[in-house]
Amino acid sequence: MPATPQRLTHGRRALIGIVGALGAVALLSGCSQGAATSTGSSSDSSYKAVAKDTKADLTYAVWDQTQVKAIDANLEGFNKEYPNIKVTVSVTPFADYWTKLQTQASSDALPDLFWMNGPNFQLYAANGKLEPITGEVKAGAIDPKNYSSSLDELYTYNKVEYGVPKDFDTIGVWVNKALFQEAGVALPSDDWTWDDFQKTATEISQNLKSKGIYGVSAGMDGQTTYYPTIFQAGGYVVSPDGKKSGYDDPATEAGLQFWADLIKSGASPNMKQLTETPGDQWFVSGKSAMYQGGDWARSEIAAAPIAKDVQAYRLPKGKVDANVIHGVANVVAANSKNKGAAQALQVYLASKEAQQQQGDMGAVIPAYTGTQTAFAKSMPGVNLQLFLDEVSVAKPLPVSKNTAAWNTLETNLLPDAFDGTKSVSDVGKDLAEQMNAALAKEK
Amino acid sequence: MTSSTSEAMRADAPRRRRRYDGAWPWLFVLPLLIGVTGFYLWPIIQTAYYSFTTWGVFGGSTWVGGANYAQLFRDPQLYRSLLNTVIYTAIVLLGVPLSVWLASLLNTPGLRFAQFYRVLFFLPYVAMPTAISLVWRMIFNGDFGLLNWFLGLLGIDGPYWLTTPWFALVAVSIVGLWSSLGFSMILLGSGLKNIPPELYEAAELDGASRARQFRSITVPLLTPSIFFVLIVTIISSFQLFDLLYAMLGTHNAVMPKTMSLVFYFYQSGFITNDKGFAAAVAIFIFALIGLITLFQFRFQRRWVHND
Amino acid sequence: MTELSASVRTRSRRRPSHAWIHVVLAVGGFIMALPFLWQIIMSLSTNAEVQSVTPVFWPAHLQWGNYVQVFERMPFLSQLRTSIVITVIRTLAQIVLCTLAGYAFARMRFPFKGILLAIVLSILLVPSQAYLISQYQIVQSLGWLNTVLGLVAPGLFSAFGTFLMRTAFINLPRELEEAARIDGANPIQIFWRVMLPLARPSISALAITTVLFSWNELLWPLVVTTDSAQMPLAAGLATIAGDVTINYPVLMAASLLAMAPVLIAFIVMQRRVIDGLATSGLK
Repeated sequence: MPATPQRLTHGRRALIGIVGALGAVALLSGCSQGAATSTGSSSDSSYKAVAKDTKADLTYAVWDQTQVKAIDANLEGFNKEYPNIKVTVSVTPFADYWTKLQTQASSDALPDLFWMNGPNFQLYAANGKLEPITGEVKAGAIDPKNYSSSLDELYTYNKVEYGVPKDFDTIGVWVNKALFQEAGVALPSDDWTWDDFQKTATEISQNLKSKGIYGVSAGMDGQTTYYPTIFQAGGYVVSPDGKKSGYDDPATEAGLQFWADLIKSGASPNMKQLTETPGDQWFVSGKSAMYQGGDWARSEIAAAPIAKDVQAYRLPKGKVDANVIHGVANVVAANSKNKGAAQALQVYLASKEAQQQQGDMGAVIPAYTGTQTAFAKSMPGVNLQLFLDEVSVAKPLPVSKNTAAWNTLETNLLPDAFDGTKSVSDVGKDLAEQMNAALAKEK
Repeated sequence: MTSSTSEAMRADAPRRRRRYDGAWPWLFVLPLLIGVTGFYLWPIIQTAYYSFTTWGVFGGSTWVGGANYAQLFRDPQLYRSLLNTVIYTAIVLLGVPLSVWLASLLNTPGLRFAQFYRVLFFLPYVAMPTAISLVWRMIFNGDFGLLNWFLGLLGIDGPYWLTTPWFALVAVSIVGLWSSLGFSMILLGSGLKNIPPELYEAAELDGASRARQFRSITVPLLTPSIFFVLIVTIISSFQLFDLLYAMLGTHNAVMPKTMSLVFYFYQSGFITNDKGFAAAVAIFIFALIGLITLFQFRFQRRWVHND
Repeated sequence: MTELSASVRTRSRRRPSHAWIHVVLAVGGFIMALPFLWQIIMSLSTNAEVQSVTPVFWPAHLQWGNYVQVFERMPFLSQLRTSIVITVIRTLAQIVLCTLAGYAFARMRFPFKGILLAIVLSILLVPSQAYLISQYQIVQSLGWLNTVLGLVAPGLFSAFGTFLMRTAFINLPRELEEAARIDGANPIQIFWRVMLPLARPSISALAITTVLFSWNELLWPLVVTTDSAQMPLAAGLATIAGDVTINYPVLMAASLLAMAPVLIAFIVMQRRVIDGLATSGLK
């Protein structure tokens, strides 16, 4: 699961729009429920394993209906252990999911167990809406060592852990070998560098210009595109204490310049082109030879006519080796009336058995270390293994308490830098200033 | 809107035996009023209150007086959003005369295939927004879209419609016009059917041309419906949001230059989670359209043909 | 009836050239329908063909299987049932509530009438989603979450419908009403026997707008229900559209299937409206 639906195939934005947005506006009005604003570091959660014959009706809220089959399989296993806990899986499309969750949180009616993502996590944790998993960890029911430490970090707020990751994503470069051949350009080596990448992409664009084919296309969002290069350049997006923007840092700007250079040299379509026709679409239509994107592009690519020519490569090396990791977590509502039962389900879904099943059914890369082989084998010869290997160098997706506020600033300001309308450092300074103001408001 | 009172009084003037009709009217209006109060009026009152507070994401508020409004009127984005909304509304309003004309053509007595045409014009209104805006995005796509392909045939190099300032607003307005036309035509169609056919027969006997009949019978007798359509079109155009969101998406740098008032409201309330400020935006929108509507009601006596 | 059809006949006999009218309506209608034609083509293509950036205007093979997949991907029939149930309830309720109130606002005299009408209309002026949380809390406190009542509740009351019906009644001639009053009919009888039949065209306009509002409404049903089988079609469609990898042809097929019932209802109703009009034209 990408952190935000940024990997929007054409129309996906549209959908989010229609679908969610109409509604999403809604959030005005509503009573102040005197929401508990205990700031995060609330005491340990109370956890006591419930009896196997506990009776309860739970709601488990998720946003991706393609994963429901695998979830149902998990629930079957869960009900063998807890036959009297009935679980309803509630699917709401991504954009509406957050509207619904905010409405429910404002009315103290959150689902017992639900999916959480990085950008939204701190908002809910800081407002006391989530039950910490510290009790379960202490009791040995959940062991954070089974997951990437970056994911654990992502779902920790004020030193308290709140969520169990269920899956993860990293970024790579998808390559269309046939177009390389057509352009007469050698395939990259596994230890390629930023320079190699720029050169290769520019050359392909030049050689295949008459056919309207570009060397590279990307989503031009943070997670898939510029966060990885910012980290590779040794920069940062938001300081560890969540108070300062990194966009006026020269290293961060170098990570942005990487993309400005690609557009300037004609190696990549420009921002307007990439906004109207997203990067993945150029790639699956055979109009770009490389696509920098997440592992989740796999199912789209596998179904495209170019699938047989595709090979995945790890990101080219910058100053440092780096990647970005994000994953969805299962969290229990602090006010759940069936907290014990909900925690039992949370614990079960975090088990190796359940995670193995998730991996084998193939919708996502499961978070539990050692259950991911099925993913790597799902496209033989494509080297999907790299997405798993990258975990060792991956940093968590940058988030803060009100991530969306500065995500909007990035979307609105950065295109001028990428397109060369303004210099990267001018835009970086402007963005840093506005982002710092947004961060200051979070308190 | 109080003008409706005076208008009703004026109409009732000749038989003012009693001032009121006793309990009967309440029997007619109370069921509606109860629902409206519970489900709509109460939330508006809450929003008005919250516009004077900073309001936590999940509730909890602190009184800040007029600070939100002061911030609002200092924000240049407000004025840009207002301008965009006005332009959008103006373009969509072009659909009103167009739909009067089309509706009267459809209503031509003895016209064959009228039902079929009516269905065609009705289609956009039945469309599932989720799917149809995808189609429009493909039509407007700068590199591969149908529209630019067509313009290319005419030797015109089409713009990147959905990512260029002004063009994006025009593209959204065109779709807005497209989707509202059928709706206006239905409302006007029911107005047209209320015009007694005898009038046309009489005019025909007098030898009035079809254009003359349109001007001196159709339009004047249709003014109450036209007035209604105008009010509703303006109100709904000022609520522009979902179409904009669907056509441009939130990951589009053209948005700050294209956003509408309601999108501005959405962004403040939902994306940046500044709900007290967003409440102030909502109240501003409320007051603004309220004023425009009030003005229209005051002005209608000059041109709307009642009775 | 005879008078009207006679006039139609005389005029069509002379047949003042309708040709240019047909040209205008056909060209306009084609522009209106164009996106749908494309949608139909897409619903019969493969996902790769739809995704291809150089548009494929005609699929290599017609993929009728996309329509079958709709039923596998979403609980189409149970969602169709929900859509029909909530739409029928709301439409009936709005017709009753809005005609009653609209009539009172148009023709009756009572204190605070102007202010009350202004209040009713004012609910159209606020961004419509500003109501969500309050409405949710009301429905929650009534215990209506996950019920049909909760789904339909806020949509039973319409300011737009009230305004529409008020406009309709204001424009009806007063004479019949006066005559009925002199005959000793009470307001309910006048409303029911005299005014309502005359307002039929506007009532069908109200019905059409309510049906469409209800059929396409998305956010409210998504928020007040948890089980997707209890949601209406628009919500089901949004769920398909929310997949990480969207299957566009299936989405297009689903949307065409979802709009079909409303389109058919419109075609049927259109006939009835016109018939209803022809008879009411006699009076």
